[in-house]
Amino acid sequence: MTGTEIALIGAALAVGLAGIGSAIGVGIVGQSAAGLVTEDPDKFGQTLLLQALPGTQGIYGLLAGFLIMQEVGVIGDAPMLLLEPAQGYAFLMASIPIAIVGLVSGIYQGRVSGAAVGLVAKRPEELGKGIVYAVMVETYAVLALLATILLLFGIDVNG
Amino acid sequence: MPIIEMKKVFLLGHRQEREKIFNLLHNLGSVEMVDVKSGEAWDEFQALVEPDQPPENISQIDATRSDIRYCLDFFQRYFPVKKTFIQQFTGGKLELSEDQFAEHIESLNRAGEIYDSCRQVEDSLARLRNEETQANNLIAELNPWESLDLPLELVKDGSYAVMGLYTVPRDNSLDLQESLAEKVSNYYLEEVTLDNEFLYFFFVGLSEERAAQADLFKENTVTEVTFSQLSGTPAENIASLHKQINDFEEERTSILREIENLLEHRPMLMACYDYLDNEYIKHDAVSNLARTENSFLLEGWVPAPVLKDLEKTVEEKTETALLISRDPGEKEKVPVLLHNRGPAEAYEVVTKLFSTPQRREVDPTPFMAPFFFIFFGICLGDAGYGILLGLLAVYFSRQLRIGESGKQLLKLLLLGGISSFIFGILFGGYFGDLIKLPPLWFDPLDQPMQMLYYCFAIGLVHIYFGMGVQAYRNIKAGKPLSALFDQGFWFIFLNGLILLLLPGFETAAQWIAIGGGAGLVLTQGRSQSGLVLKFLSGLLSLYNITGYLSDVLSYSRLLALGLATGVIAVAINSMGEMIGGGVVGTVILSIILLGGHSFNIIISTLSSYVHTSRLQYVEFFGKFFEGGGKPFKPFGKSASYVDVITPKEG
Repeated sequence: MTGTEIALIGAALAVGLAGIGSAIGVGIVGQSAAGLVTEDPDKFGQTLLLQALPGTQGIYGLLAGFLIMQEVGVIGDAPMLLLEPAQGYAFLMASIPIAIVGLVSGIYQGRVSGAAVGLVAKRPEELGKGIVYAVMVETYAVLALLATILLLFGIDVNG
Repeated sequence: MPIIEMKKVFLLGHRQEREKIFNLLHNLGSVEMVDVKSGEAWDEFQALVEPDQPPENISQIDATRSDIRYCLDFFQRYFPVKKTFIQQFTGGKLELSEDQFAEHIESLNRAGEIYDSCRQVEDSLARLRNEETQANNLIAELNPWESLDLPLELVKDGSYAVMGLYTVPRDNSLDLQESLAEKVSNYYLEEVTLDNEFLYFFFVGLSEERAAQADLFKENTVTEVTFSQLSGTPAENIASLHKQINDFEEERTSILREIENLLEHRPMLMACYDYLDNEYIKHDAVSNLARTENSFLLEGWVPAPVLKDLEKTVEEKTETALLISRDPGEKEKVPVLLHNRGPAEAYEVVTKLFSTPQRREVDPTPFMAPFFFIFFGICLGDAGYGILLGLLAVYFSRQLRIGESGKQLLKLLLLGGISSFIFGILFGGYFGDLIKLPPLWFDPLDQPMQMLYYCFAIGLVHIYFGMGVQAYRNIKAGKPLSALFDQGFWFIFLNGLILLLLPGFETAAQWIAIGGGAGLVLTQGRSQSGLVLKFLSGLLSLYNITGYLSDVLSYSRLLALGLATGVIAVAINSMGEMIGGGVVGTVILSIILLGGHSFNIIISTLSSYVHTSRLQYVEFFGKFFEGGGKPFKPFGKSASYVDVITPKEG
C-alpha cells in the first residue's frame, strides 16, 4: 500500500468509527424520546435537543476525516500527494484518538442523554442539568479531537 | 448588590378584610408567605393565636379544578392544540384580553355540564372500543372456519350422532387420523383449514362410539371449539361482524363530532382553570396564617426594595391592616432573589441552572459573566455566525412572549453573538472562509499551538480569579490565614511551576515553587491532630496539583470547539465549490451553503453554550461557590393555559 492509501484508511476510521458511536448514541436517545413523546407530544423540542447531543462525535470524526483528505489532497485545489508509507502511518495514528474515543463516548453519551429524557419526563424545568451530565461525557471526545487535530497539524507532508 | 436583601414582614389585619388583602398581595406578587407556625416567633405567639385552617370551600374549588383539568386533557387527547417547535420551549399559551378573561370566568357554572358531557362521551368511546375488540376477537376465532359451509347452529349432538368443530396440533394430526381409522368404525372427518400450528376439522361420529373417540382426542390433545351463540355459516358471521365494525367506526366519528362541538368551550375552560388554580392558591395560603377570633396574622418575606411600595399599598387600600417589618434573624432560612444590572443579568440563567446561591454567599454571576462572554466567543469564533446569532436572538425576544429566564437566555445568545463577531474578526472567520479577509490577530488554524497556549493562559486567569474570590470570602469571614494558606500558597506554588517552563527564570522559579510548596506542606494538614499526621496530610495535599493541571488542560476545549466550527464551515464551503456553475449549479450551491451553515450555527451554538457552562460549573464554581440557597417564590399569579394581556399604558 502507498502512504496515501494508509492515510485515507485513517480518514475512513475517523469518520466511520466516530460516526458509529454517534449513530448508536443518537439511536438510544431517540428510543427513549419516542416513548416519552407518545405520552406528551409537547416534549418533542426538548427531547430533540437531548438527542442531538451524542451526535457531535460523528461531526468531530467527519472533521478529522476532512482534515486528512485536505492534507493529502483528495479534495481542494492542491494536487494529490504521494506519501511514503511512514507518513501514511502517521496520518493513520493521528486519526486513532477521535476514532476510538468517538465510538465509545458517543455510546455512553447516548445512555446519559437517554436517562436525561427520563428526567425531562418528570421535571421538564431541569433540562439544563440533564444536558450538563451528557456534556461531561463529551469532554473526552473534545479532548480526543484536539489530540487528533494537533497530531495532524504536526505531520510534515513535504519532508 | 447582586443578591437582594430580604425583610421579614408581619401583617396583622381584620378577618373581614382578609380576602381583600389576599387579592392585593396576590396581584402584587412580591411576598413569599411563610407558615407562621414554623417561624421563630411562634413560641411567643402560640399563647395568643391559633393556626388558621383553609376555608371549607377549598375542596370544592379543588374538585372543580380537577374536573376542568380532566376536560382539557380529554380534548387534548383527541384534538390536541398544536404547538410550534418554538412554542414547545416558550409555553405558547392562549392569549386573552382582560375583558375576554372576565367573560369566560362568568361561564364557570357551565363547567359541570361540560364535564358531564365529556364523561359521557368518554364512556361511550370506551364502550365502543370494548365492543370493537370483542368483534375483532370473534373474527379471529372464526377465520379458520370460513370455508366450512355449514350453519353453526346445526353443529350439535343428536340422538345417534355426535358432531363438533375441533382443532388438533399439526404434528398430531396424522396420528389422530390413523388411530381413528383403526379404532373407530364409522365417522366423518372434514379438514377445514391447516395452518402452521393447528389442523381445524369438522367431525361427525356415532354416539355409541363416543368413549373411544374421546380417548383418542385426549391422547392427541384435540380441543373442541364451540360457537354456541352464533347461527349461520362462519362466512356469514364474519361478514356481519365486519359490517358491525364499520358501524362502530361511523358511531365513533359521530361521537368525535360531539367532542368537536364541545371544543368551543376550550378557551373558556382554560381561563376557568387558571382562575380556579389561583383561587386555590389563595385559599390554600390561609393555612400559613394564624388567627384570633377577629384578626389574622401573616408572616412572609419581601425584597427590601419593594417593601416601601408594599407598605404604601397596604396603607392606602386597606382599613385595618398593619404591616411590621424587620431584618432577617441569624438562623432564619431567607429566600434568595438575584438581581444583576446590565449585561451580567443575562448570565443569571447560567447560575440558576447550577444552583441558587446561599443568602450570605456572593452571587457568582457578575464574576462569571465576562469569562462566559469571552469563552462563548472563542468557541463559536465566526463573525458571520455571530451577526446571525445576534439578529436571531433580537428577533425572537421581540416576537415571543416568554418568561424572565427565556428573556435572559436570548440576551445571553445576543451577547454571545457579539462576542463571536469580535473573535471572528480577530481570528479571520467569516462563514468559515467564504469571505476571505485576513485575521486581525492570527488564524488558529495556522498556529494551533499558539492558540492552545492562549487558551491555557485565559483558563489560568479564570482559575486564579475563582481562587481570588474564595480568598476574599475567607478574609471577609474573618479567616485571613485560611486565605493565605489555602489560596495564597497555591497561587505562589503554581506560579513558580509555570515560571519553571519559561527560559531565563529557572533559579527564581525554583525558589518560588519550593517556597509555595513548603508553605502548603506546612499548612494543609493543620486540621489534623498530631505532628506526623499534619506533615503527611500536608505532603499529600501537593497531589492536588493534578487537579489544577487537569483544570487548566480542560480549557483546551476552547481551541477544539473554535477549530471545529471553523473547519466544518470550511468543509461546507468546499463542498459548495465542487458544484459546477450554471443556473442549476448556483441553486444547489445556495442550498448547500444555506443548509450547511444553518446546521453549523445550531450545532456550534449548542456546543459553545454547554461547554462554556461546564467550564464555569466545574473549573470556576468549584473553586469558591457552594450554592444550595432557596430561591424566592412569591405568592402570586400562576398561569397554566392562559396569558392575560394587559393593554400597554401610554
